[in-house]
Amino acid sequence: MRHAGDTISAYLDGELRPEEVHRLLEHLASCGRCSAEMTALQGVRSSVRSLPMIELPRGTLPEAEVTPIPLRRNRGFIAAVAAAVVAAVIGIAALVTPPPESISVEDLNSRFGARLSLDPAFGPAKVLVPETVELQR
Amino acid sequence: MRRLILVTVAVLMMPATAMATDLEELLAQGKEANYSAEQIITCSTPEGVKDSVVRIRQSDGDLHAAASVPSDLEVTSGSGGWTLSQAGSVITSTSLDASGIEAEPRYELDEGTPAAFLGRRVTLYEMRDGDLLRARLIFDTQLGAVMKAVTYSADGTVYCERRFITFDPTPPVLTFVRHADDIIDEEPVDSDLPEEIAGFHRLDEYAEDGLIFAYYSDGFFSFAVFETDVVVELSDAARIIIDDDEYRRAFDPGQVTFVWETESGGMALIGDLPPDMHQEVLAGLPPPGRASWWGRIWRGLFG
Repeated sequence: MRHAGDTISAYLDGELRPEEVHRLLEHLASCGRCSAEMTALQGVRSSVRSLPMIELPRGTLPEAEVTPIPLRRNRGFIAAVAAAVVAAVIGIAALVTPPPESISVEDLNSRFGARLSLDPAFGPAKVLVPETVELQR
Repeated sequence: MRRLILVTVAVLMMPATAMATDLEELLAQGKEANYSAEQIITCSTPEGVKDSVVRIRQSDGDLHAAASVPSDLEVTSGSGGWTLSQAGSVITSTSLDASGIEAEPRYELDEGTPAAFLGRRVTLYEMRDGDLLRARLIFDTQLGAVMKAVTYSADGTVYCERRFITFDPTPPVLTFVRHADDIIDEEPVDSDLPEEIAGFHRLDEYAEDGLIFAYYSDGFFSFAVFETDVVVELSDAARIIIDDDEYRRAFDPGQVTFVWETESGGMALIGDLPPDMHQEVLAGLPPPGRASWWGRIWRGLFG
């Protein structure tokens, strides 16, 4: 995915389909630029929303312009908050995820050596003495 | 006179294979020989020459091998047991129970040539896969011990040479303490590892917690394939590309190890395969891959 500016806006407006959300979140995890842009956009939106409501004196605006905010805009806000929470959870999960567990090849060598000893060909033509074993145990 | 002609014709008409010696029988005799020896192992690998000097004591099918250079490691092995130790301290130990299925014979030996080696009477055999020379083996005529084994790559170059430089036919006293903690039983496993890869047959499979491994042999060369749900660590390994797939590879004297990451964890191959066999064998196994970002988080959080 290239730069996802428009997609981020659509995402914050709750206009993306689930598969588009999934793709965007994967992209954000690996793209610092887009991730920073989303954080900035979320900040701007959050700042605007945190401004105090001012009740205008009656008659300041024509009646037609003081109609209530349509419900659709509220839905977008809720979706944006939900998306931000999801993004935060994913970010925290990525940070706290421990590195993958691992098994050392010496443990596997031991199993191979044991099985090899049952082979009819086992003997000095096949005996193995690993030299790269890590001795700090 | 007529009878003599018939016998002569019969001998001449005998197929070449009828004159050949049974490899498995010779190797079995070698396994039962009792002796002490010092062995030099020299292998020409794509990563340079890997060599080692090993002191060997073999008694009643058990074999003790110690590499004095560079780390003074000791291996005691036999009858399904394998213990790696240093200065008397066990580093790792495993015991296996296997059904003892034997590989289909792939190689043929010629009838052998008498010779002398380290002052003893020996027989030199050539081991071939069709016309391809894969090994020259020297067996002690009296005891059956494998005094020298030279394995070849398909282009005719030597891969590994293992030869005794000293030999003492006195039966050694060998104490092999098996560690019962790590006994692994062969189990019916529902794995996707193939039954046959590039002429190698899967002889048995084992399952432990999060680990499946299978043993393959072609009657002489052999390898084990490990499938785990975690990453396999291999220090000082070279990154190599085979058929556009990335593997990590390391050679020890007489042994090659490959590890690679898969979508569900990691895999490893350990064996004594000559380099020309690597590509075909790896092509028969699950290829390298990486878990998705989501998959890695999921595995990290929930195992």
